[in-house]
Amino acid sequence: MSLSLPRENVPPRRRRSFENSGLTPYLYLLPFMLLFLVFVVYPVGYGFWVSLHRWDLLAETRPFVGLEYYRNLFDFSTPQAQFFWNSMRNTGFFTILSVPLLVAVSLGLALLLYRPIFGRSFFRAVFFLPGILTVSVMGILWRWMFDNQIGLVNAVRTDLLGLQPLPFLSSEGLAWIPVVVGTLWWTIGFNMTLYLAALGNISQSLYEAAEIDGATAWPKFRFITWPLLGPVTLFVFVTTVLASFQLFGQTLVITNGGPNRTTQSAIQYITEEAFTNNQFSSAAAMSFMFGLAMLIFTVLQFRIMARDAREGT
Amino acid sequence: MAAPARDLPAVATTRDAPPRRGPRDVPRFLLLCLLALLFLAPMYWMITTSIKPETDVISTPTQWFPARPTLENYREVLTSPDGNILRWMWNSFFVATVYTVLHVALCALTAYPLARMRFPGRDAIFWFILGSLMIPGVITLIPSYLMMIRFDWINSFHSLIWPGLAGAFGVFLLRQFFMGLPKELEEAARLDGANSLQVLWHVILPLSIPSLVTLAVFAFMGSWNNFIWPTFVITDLDKLTLPVGVNTFSQRYVTEYGKLMASTAIASIPVLIAYLLAQRYLIAGLSTTGMKE
Repeated sequence: MSLSLPRENVPPRRRRSFENSGLTPYLYLLPFMLLFLVFVVYPVGYGFWVSLHRWDLLAETRPFVGLEYYRNLFDFSTPQAQFFWNSMRNTGFFTILSVPLLVAVSLGLALLLYRPIFGRSFFRAVFFLPGILTVSVMGILWRWMFDNQIGLVNAVRTDLLGLQPLPFLSSEGLAWIPVVVGTLWWTIGFNMTLYLAALGNISQSLYEAAEIDGATAWPKFRFITWPLLGPVTLFVFVTTVLASFQLFGQTLVITNGGPNRTTQSAIQYITEEAFTNNQFSSAAAMSFMFGLAMLIFTVLQFRIMARDAREGT
Repeated sequence: MAAPARDLPAVATTRDAPPRRGPRDVPRFLLLCLLALLFLAPMYWMITTSIKPETDVISTPTQWFPARPTLENYREVLTSPDGNILRWMWNSFFVATVYTVLHVALCALTAYPLARMRFPGRDAIFWFILGSLMIPGVITLIPSYLMMIRFDWINSFHSLIWPGLAGAFGVFLLRQFFMGLPKELEEAARLDGANSLQVLWHVILPLSIPSLVTLAVFAFMGSWNNFIWPTFVITDLDKLTLPVGVNTFSQRYVTEYGKLMASTAIASIPVLIAYLLAQRYLIAGLSTTGMKE
């Protein structure tokens, strides 16, 4: 690569004076800051303003109501409060159910795959590929896999195992299975790749030393692999939790929040309140409550991460 | 399937792992085969369902292999009056491309002074931008939608491009990379009489291609896969993006799984091609994210 520049393109004197004016860095930052203020900073304040007023798309006036919409969220005689906290509980339930599986299974796959084996690249591609599909494709696919009558899962149950078909999509409780299994299939490849990269960075000499001491597979994993994977595990854990909180597409497409709102996620209910019921102020208040819960959780996780990092060194 | 995967293991090199291929590997191999089978089952079910006539889709006992293969479902989905899947694909491609180019350019312009210039307020501005990563996206969903109404951007691609452009992650990624570049190169260019824009264009950016490509891949994937936001700001059938469009099919053909599977298969093809082209960067970018600390 040539670093010398065509000098005739550079008029030195005028450039110097401008470059020295001290404004240059701010000019570079200007486009980003404009967009950032309009589309990131302003909406946060505007959303809070909306949540404090009775906001109606058609009405002329938007009276100030203070924290009424926040108080309503704790008035459990209203369907809004019931549905909102139900959707929050569902999102939390999904997170608790799926995150340990997503971390453990992706680690398991990575452990199976990081040492050379016949067809290793093929296996890696197979486990990674589902992650590149969009959420609606993944959702439609798994809705069909778990179709009550003739999906593949029930076809295997009836035709191969001689069992009764289960109405996965229309029974409370069971409807989570397609959602979690689909999510697992969809996202495990990303986490597996992170783990594979981390495993590749562990020096082989540590294992050799352990072998000289007579260590078998489990102690080697317990005392070498697992502690050295700590930072990746935390990263995978935090990003997976945050992604699980954002649950929306999977339940929308696979179960449409049903049956009986048992799989309705928080974001799905917030958008229903806004775009179906036209209750923008109420929805804004809900998103602030939900955002606050996410924020608290994130801060807690980062504090735990920081503590672990200190103890680790 | 085997060919595209050739470059995959380049990231996690096991160069110092002694090749152990003995009897111990046979159970591991068989386990992997079983898992691969489970992972591929939905794909198999998608493709075989998509080429079955609708009566065979719902026949019992189950048809494990299509007895009367047909492309009828594909023909119907591609010529459906309820929306043109190729049109949606083009919309997604157009939006994602414009978004990616603008986003990478904007982040590079922003990261450059933050990484390589000294000026009052620099660190404050950087932390202000970075702090926005803590704001959960759901908080801006409703107000942004109301803003789109006011801008008259509902059913316009503007609403899919502008609101997400100023992303803190891209600035952070590029700033970290720019900071690692040697000072000497920049000074040499300065002595040659280059101004800061020329330094950025001729020195910094050519050296940063890996991180720029990583950011571009993430930006493109993010835009292409975006589902929540376009679901609400785009309702015009002709202007839907692919994920949202495919989902309207899902609501229309609730029980016609032959057509649904044909549409999901069509929707998967461009992603597969993109994966084959970009897998190296995709996996490398993924593996370097968060590896520090």
